[in-house]
Amino acid sequence: MKHLTHIWFIALKDLKIFAKDRASVFFFIVFPFMFIVLFTFLLQGTGGEDNRVELHMATREASGGLSQQIIGAIVTPDESLLKPGDPVIIWDKDYEASRQAVIDGELEGLLAFPADFTQSVMTGEKTKLEIFSDAGATYARAALNSIAGAISSQISTDKVVIDASISLLVGSGAIPADSESIDRATQQLLNAAMSGAAPGGSDSFLTYKIVNVGDVEAGNASDFVIPGYLVMFVFFAAAVSAQRIVWERQNHTLERLLASSVKRESILGGIYTGTFIRGLIQIIIFWVVGILVFNVDLGLSPPAVIILSVLMVIMSAAFALMLATLARTMRSAASLAVLTSLLLAPLGGCWWPSFLYPEWLQNIAKITPHAWATSGFNKLMLFGADFGDALPSMLALLVFALIFGIIAAWRFRTSAT
Amino acid sequence: MAEEFMVVKDLYKSFKDLKAVNGVSFSIYKGEIFGLLGPNGAGKTTTIRMLSTVLEADKGEIIIGGHSVKKDAEAVRSIIGVCPQDLALYEDLSALDNMVFFGRMAGMEGKEAKAQAMENLKLMGLEGRAKGKVGKFSGGMKRRINLAIALMGSPQLLFLDEPTVGIDPQSRNHIFENIQGLQKKGLTILYTTHYMEEADRLCNRIAIMDGGQIIALDTSYNLKKQIGSPEKVTLEDVFLKLTGRSLRD
Ligand SMILES: Nc1ncnc2c1ncn2[C@@H]1O[C@H](COP(=O)(O)OP(=O)(O)OP(=O)(O)O)[C@@H](O)[C@H]1O
Ligand SMILES: [Mg+2]
Repeated sequence: MKHLTHIWFIALKDLKIFAKDRASVFFFIVFPFMFIVLFTFLLQGTGGEDNRVELHMATREASGGLSQQIIGAIVTPDESLLKPGDPVIIWDKDYEASRQAVIDGELEGLLAFPADFTQSVMTGEKTKLEIFSDAGATYARAALNSIAGAISSQISTDKVVIDASISLLVGSGAIPADSESIDRATQQLLNAAMSGAAPGGSDSFLTYKIVNVGDVEAGNASDFVIPGYLVMFVFFAAAVSAQRIVWERQNHTLERLLASSVKRESILGGIYTGTFIRGLIQIIIFWVVGILVFNVDLGLSPPAVIILSVLMVIMSAAFALMLATLARTMRSAASLAVLTSLLLAPLGGCWWPSFLYPEWLQNIAKITPHAWATSGFNKLMLFGADFGDALPSMLALLVFALIFGIIAAWRFRTSAT
Repeated sequence: MAEEFMVVKDLYKSFKDLKAVNGVSFSIYKGEIFGLLGPNGAGKTTTIRMLSTVLEADKGEIIIGGHSVKKDAEAVRSIIGVCPQDLALYEDLSALDNMVFFGRMAGMEGKEAKAQAMENLKLMGLEGRAKGKVGKFSGGMKRRINLAIALMGSPQLLFLDEPTVGIDPQSRNHIFENIQGLQKKGLTILYTTHYMEEADRLCNRIAIMDGGQIIALDTSYNLKKQIGSPEKVTLEDVFLKLTGRSLRD
């Protein structure tokens, strides 16, 4: 308890001193936003609605077939209702022309139903959906694959239910026991199941998940810019505060603290907590302004974005602590902070998407906490990933924080004086 | 004066090849003001830093108030107060904030710390400037705050490393009277200074240190007697005689 109050008062004291320094407060809060405004503006042209992924579907069946019902159910009725990042599903009436377009590289991908689709489903024969896709269009291919998967599994379950219902109906005499009547009843039921929902409506019979692999550009430039700058500035602001411990030593107040009843760990903990709280304030401001002013979309799992941000702060503060115990003078602490921040930010994908880098550079980037943080944010906010997909990034940041923290504690013990 | 409050035995500290403290032994009695004099670089501050648990000794034993610095630094820290040679203050904070903060660090509760802070500020004649930013204070005021902070937490032993450097006679007198007042309250004080008259006036006993060793230790009177008539020679004469006239770094 005593140690916790010590930690708290040391942190509070640092925050008080920080708040009195107008210039650093300005730099800390306003400066990052100037960058964001600038870069959002510059990147605006590259994102936007035009880059929406288009998924094309076609069928070789005559009208009235089951496949017509299915496509009709999932085709995008109104593009303006889509969320940023959602693909558009387009019904191509001319199968041959679309197929040729994929081969010619004009279309990224096509999902097509065979001519005997309804027949096969009715008789329980195996049938194949065709997916044509451009080898490079990984995103479109993955999306089409998962739609195909969803369709086939939906049809299989529907078919089981319908077959069971029909045999009950036949058994009770509601339907004559001739094959023609049974076929007709089956098809009616299937059609009803498939077109049960209004196209694009909320409870469409088909649910499909789009697996995002590879590169998609942001619908909203801020979705990319804000996290990148968040990572860079949180890290930078923390790293610069590495001067704090060195300053405390040069200011001789560290000597006073060392001779007082405060434990060494509490001194370190207090300085760490101060840096951490400042980082926390920074991310709160970032996200609030980001959401209110820049319309940033936190993606499917806002809690994951928040946790990732907090971990980023935890890691950055630990880095600052380590830097502080490694540097001898304030000048060297500051230069190390600036140097590492400026080196790691672009390498870790804070300035532009690191998936644009050649693979070897992407691999090198993995040694930066920035890369893990930005890839986590990008996955969550651009590629529709959910909580679980961001776990590796969270874990990596935690590991970085631990490593930095252990080095700091060890260095502080051996070099406090 | 019989009870030894602090016992130092065979203290050593080197910085690389430099033997900053080279076999120092002495005791300070309870309630005594003990002067530690010596030319620049003699090893006074290094000794104080080891005594105040900030710096680890290479060798030697230190017992303060019955607690070993090596084995029970925490107990030692709870009964000492330090006024470092260099100002150790948060210039961006007010005098009161500084005092309360270090009071907290000494383990005091908020109210208690605030009350004692005001009391100590008053002692130093700074109660009117409690809310003032320390960075805006004059050199003498900063020195007084530096000393006042050392009093937070009611220590039993004070280490005062040149508390009066660079201040005017008024401030110095004020500090003097305070130190004497603290002694009357029963505090034990280790005092270093380059002002010989100061040491002569304040200290019960004086150790003269040079080259990391104590070369003389006695009352001012006895030290003077060694080189002549105590009424005629000054402590400075003794000091120069013992430590020589060559310049130190
Ligand atoms: N951290 C350190 N690293 C290296 N050398 C040091 C360190 N601290 C002190 N020294 C050296 O040890 C010697 C004794 O220094 P110290 O500060 O103890 O002297 P002092 O008696 O307090 O001098 P002054 O009267 O000038 O304050 C000096 O030569 C000093 O340069
Ligand atoms: Mg000194």
